[in-house]
Formats: sequence, C-alpha cells, structure tokens
Amino acid sequence: MNPRIIVANLVVSIKSFYRTKSTMFFMIAFPIILILVFGALFMKQDNMSFDLCVQDLDHTDSSAQLVKTLELDGKFNVIKIDPAMNATQYTKDNKLNLVLMIPKGYEGSFLRRTALHDTNASVTLTYLYDPSSIFVSMKMQILNSVFAGINQKMSGKPPFIWSAETSILAKKYRFIDFFVPGIIAMSVMTLSLFGTVNLNTELRQKGVIRKLSTTPITRTDWILSNILYQFILAVISTMAMLLVSYAVFRINLYINAWLLVFIVLDVFAFVGIGMILTRFVKEAESAAAAANAITFPMMFLSGSFFPLEMMPGFMQTVARILPLYYVNEGLRASMVFNDHMAALRYSAIIGVFAAVVFILGIIATNWEEGQ
Amino acid sequence: MAKEAEYAIEVEKLTKRYGDLLAVDNISFNVRKGEVFALLGPNGAGKTTTVEIIDTIRTPTSGKASILGMDVTKRKHEIVPRIGVLPQGFSSFDRITVRETIQYFSRLFCCRKTDVDGLIELVNLKDKAQEQYKNLSGGLMQRLGIAIALVNDPEVVFLDEPSTGLDPRARREVWKLLLGLKEKGKTVFLTTHYMEEAEFLADTVAIISKGKIIAMGSPEALIESNANYLVLTLKPVDEKAIEIVRKMGFEPVRDNHRDIKVRVEHMDDVQKILDTIKDAGASLLSLDVRKPNLEEVFLKLTGQALHKDTAGRVAE
Ligand SMILES: Nc1ncnc2c1ncn2[C@@H]1O[C@H](COP(=O)(O)OP(=O)(O)OP(=O)(O)O)[C@@H](O)[C@H]1O
Ligand SMILES: [Mg+2]
Repeated sequence: MNPRIIVANLVVSIKSFYRTKSTMFFMIAFPIILILVFGALFMKQDNMSFDLCVQDLDHTDSSAQLVKTLELDGKFNVIKIDPAMNATQYTKDNKLNLVLMIPKGYEGSFLRRTALHDTNASVTLTYLYDPSSIFVSMKMQILNSVFAGINQKMSGKPPFIWSAETSILAKKYRFIDFFVPGIIAMSVMTLSLFGTVNLNTELRQKGVIRKLSTTPITRTDWILSNILYQFILAVISTMAMLLVSYAVFRINLYINAWLLVFIVLDVFAFVGIGMILTRFVKEAESAAAAANAITFPMMFLSGSFFPLEMMPGFMQTVARILPLYYVNEGLRASMVFNDHMAALRYSAIIGVFAAVVFILGIIATNWEEGQ
Repeated sequence: MAKEAEYAIEVEKLTKRYGDLLAVDNISFNVRKGEVFALLGPNGAGKTTTVEIIDTIRTPTSGKASILGMDVTKRKHEIVPRIGVLPQGFSSFDRITVRETIQYFSRLFCCRKTDVDGLIELVNLKDKAQEQYKNLSGGLMQRLGIAIALVNDPEVVFLDEPSTGLDPRARREVWKLLLGLKEKGKTVFLTTHYMEEAEFLADTVAIISKGKIIAMGSPEALIESNANYLVLTLKPVDEKAIEIVRKMGFEPVRDNHRDIKVRVEHMDDVQKILDTIKDAGASLLSLDVRKPNLEEVFLKLTGQALHKDTAGRVAE
C-alpha cells in the first residue's frame, strides 16, 4: 500500500467528479428526491383519511367530554370501540393502526385536578399502535398537539394528560425515521457499486487500466483508492440526505460513530462486489446491467423501503441472506433505537462479508487482457 | 552482466495463444541498448501482443522475454520503474488536464522528481497544458501519451503505433521526438505498419506477419538482400503504355488508377522502356525511378501488401 499513490488517484477521481456537474447533481440529488417524494406521499395520505379509534374504559361524563373535544377538533373522525374488547387483539384483527385508550379512573383524576386543584393528579392515555404503519406517527403527533392544548387550558404546571405509547409490535418508530436509514444504506450501496463498475469498465475500455499496469501502482492501491473515493462521496451524500430530511421532516435519529462504521462497511462490501463484477463482465453496458440486477432486488428484498415485518415469512428469510439487510438493520439499530449491541451484531456480520468480498475483489482484479 | 550491457531486450521462442489462435509464433530476437527497434507488420500480425508481453502487460503462453536482463514474468516490479509504455490506442481521464495527467502519472512512480514542464515542452503541448484530455485532438492525445511514457525517465521506451491516425505533419513531429529519445541514449521499441516510419527511425526492423518474424535487419540491409532492383513508376497519358511495356517482357502493375509500376534490374532497362514508349508515339506525364522500400520487401516476403492503398489488396 502506497499512500502517495492512493492520494494521487483520489485527486484525479475527485476532480473528475467535480468537473462532471450532471453526475454530481444526480448522485446527490437522487436519494434526496426519493426521501422527499416518499415522505410527502405518506404525509398526504395521512391527512386524507384520519380515523381515530377510541376505547373509553372509564365510561364517565368526563371521559365522554374528552372524546367530544377530540371530535370537535375537526381533525379526527372518532370511532368508538366497545370497552369490553381486548384492544390489542381488536387492533390487529381490524388492521387498525392506532387506538387511543382512556383508562379507568380518568374522571377521578380529572375532578381532583379541576375541583381540588391537586397538581399531582394526572392521567396517562395509551396509544396502541402499529409501528409498521406509515401513517401512525403523524396521527400520534396530531393527538399530542391536541392534548398539549388541553393541558395548557388547565391551570397548574405539570400537564394533566400524559400519553404512553404501546406498540402492538415490539418496536416503535416513525415511518420517516425508519425510511431514512434504509435510503442511506441503499444509496451508499448504489453509489459504490455503480461508481466502481462504471469507472473500472470505462477505464478498461479506454486502455487506461492497461497503461496503469505498467506503472508501480498495485491492485490493492487501486481498490483502496476506489474505496476511499466512494467513501467520501457516500459521506457527502449521507450528510445531504440527513440535512434535508431533518429540515423537511424533523427526523429524530441518533447520529453516532455507528453511522460511519456502517457507511465504511457498506462501501467496502459493494466496491468489492463491483471489482468482482468488473472482472467477469467485460462491456461497460452489460456491467451496468449486472449491477442493476444486483441492486434492484436487494433494495426491495432487504427492507430498504418497507418494514420487513410487512413481508411474508419466506421473504424475511431471503432478506437475511442479503448483505444490504445487515446494513439496513444495523443503521436502524443505531440511528432509530440507539441499540449499540444490535448495531455491533449487525456490523460484525456485514464486516465479515465486506472483508471477504474485498479480498475476492483484489484477487479478481486482473489487469491482463486476453489470458 | 556482460549480456545486460549489450542488450536491452532479449526475446527467446516467445509464443502466445488465444484459444486456437496462434497470435505470436515462437519468435526470438534481441534489441541492443540505445537503438531504435521497429516491429513492422500489418493489422493483426501480432505486434501488440508481442510488445505487450515484453512490456509486462500480458503474459506469454511459452518462451521467455527479458528487459535489461530481468525476466518480464518474474521481475515486473523491478522492470516497471525502468520502462515507459505507450499502449496502442492510449487514452486517459477525460476531465483531467494535460498538466494534471502528467503529474498524476509521475506520482505513481514514487520518489522520482519529474520535470512536468520540461515534458510538456518536449512534446510541444505548452499551449494546451490546461486543456482537459477530452478536448484534445487525436495528435495531441498521442503526444500526451508519449509524455506520460517518459514521466519516469525510462531506459527503455515502448511505443505501440505512436503515429497511427496522425496527419503527416504531426507524424513528422512524433518522429523528431523519437529521434530525440534515441539521442538521449534511450532504447526505443516501436511497432508500426508504416514502412516509411520504420525506414526513417529504426536501426533495426523486424518484419512480422501472422505471428512470425519473417525478416530482420537494418532497413538498408533488408532492402539490399530482398529487393535488389529498381522501381520505375510511369504516369502515361493514355492506355497504350502498359501494353507496350508488357510486350517488352516486363511485368507492369497498375498502381493508383493511372500509374504503372515496373520492376527493373538496371538503369539500362529504364532507358530501354522510355525509348520504346517514345518510339510507339505514346507520351508520359511523369516518371520516377527509385530504390525499393520496405513495402516491396514485405510484398516479396509475404506475397501480400502491407497497405491496401499501395497495392489494392488488404493485408492480413
Ligand atoms: N485479447 C485477445 N483475445 C483474443 N485474440 C486476440 C487478443 N488480442 C489479440 N488477438 C488476436 O491476435 C492477433 C494479433 O493481434 P495483435 O493485436 O497483436 O495484432 P497487431 O499486429 O497489434 O495488429 P494492429 O496493427 O491491428 O494493432 C489478431 O488476430 C487478434 O485478433
Ligand atoms: Mg496492435
């Protein structure tokens, strides 16, 4: 490995990239457009139909009054659920995405607060929801804002109404928070794979690779330069995605060292695959087609766009053999759930994969023609 | 060591197969240090295959090649810093300027101080130093390729068809450049299918056809031993002349529409032909007598022409 040679390559790559304005624009803009389109699409649907199921376990005048307030607010089409039902089962059976539960004792707390001015009196409303639903986070946000209004009208500092979220599944996250890490994993994958395949097949067709083989640059130097270059692009692209999604959707994600770790592993894995592809597919066009054939199914099957929980069981099994799945899940573990142990597990798996592919990539890189 | 002092390149029984195709067929030759060696042959003869085996781009099927005493398949790492290569149809990074490209390649050769501006001057690209590669004309691209082949101040320079696709003036410039390299004491190995190029530049020419070297020596010696005759070219006014010459027992051939080419042994024959034509009342627009060139040597050795435009047959 020769750092001087790697830097020389990097300078050429970055200059070429910077001087090709259209590529630069599309590489960075494409994932952002994806985020904006999907984000906007799901928000819009949320606004169109906003049914809110309410299960009033208290069944008193006060609780009825609260339901009335929600109805009058105009944002909700309130549907009442029989208090005798098991709400979780009911939610699942009827494919509901959110049920608001008013607990028993609501009136008692309400009267203590309003009549006796007991500021310790409060009530916790439960949101029973399906986290894989793309609309649910929006509904919960609106509900929160309504309750914030009610709290404000009641005197006394500590808020009267609290909300507790109970997922009908184990995890909880907003759709957009779930979506953005998936798009990061996907776009780093496509950037790395296509960048590597395009660059290498083009340079091979132009004879530059043949020329390079008569200079002291080694295949390892060359691949590391490719990786470093793709890593820089990936970081720029990821930062742009995060900034835009934060500005537009107020995403709420943990940004820590895991993000860098997963970007690095994502880049290593897919530059390595790109190197292997370049070896076996000679023409630039067919190499790009082969890269498409790898990335396209991977995007859909590994849960980049949609929660894996929504997919049938056998497809979840398929996902587990795809490298992108581990980047997706690893990024979500760290960015959404801040779960370091899970991130570590996923990074170990994709790390081993990346190392193997990287070594195979070096072996596969053959600068001789017509063996 | 004594061997190394004499030869820059040694090739022994070199063979390369692509599947069933025998592209290079058991060739052997040596290139002396400091000489210009030209591998002359038509398209598909095996020139690129040969040169790319020697300059470490490809590996041979069998046989041995060494540069400066080092085996090309075993000591690539030591060889590479000491050679410069212009591959056939070389091209470079589209959006990188002339200057940056030279700088880039010189950085690949660690620890060498390259005189980038000197190189730019040498290949006459000073006005275009800030131009991106994709905006250069073919001739300028080729000159940049030569500059790049020189970034590490190599002892042996390999140039695969350095002047193909260039106009005559640009070709002359490249020739001048290559003679300059020779003057600096570098060994130059070039391939070409232009016989003028080989004749003008080379100390030694090896003629290659279908993977075999069919003749080798200095251009003069090759001509002397293979084409010991004169070439008379006539441009007659009418069609009669060719018949007249044929009747005299010569074998005139048509060359470029109206010209007639005749091979003769002595100057006396030229005089005889001219007299006979004159007596028959035919007249000539022009005439030319010259010694044969490598083109004719090639034709004689292979029965085929090097170029289709000079003999109406496509060389294979
Ligand atoms: N990588 C390869 N795979 C298969 N066949 C090849 C390969 N490279 C060259 N050949 C074949 O080997 C023969 C010699 O090719 P080569 O390129 O060495 O010829 P050349 O003399 O350089 O021709 P040109 O003047 O067109 O450059 C040709 O028939 C060619 O088709
Ligand atoms: Mg060739």
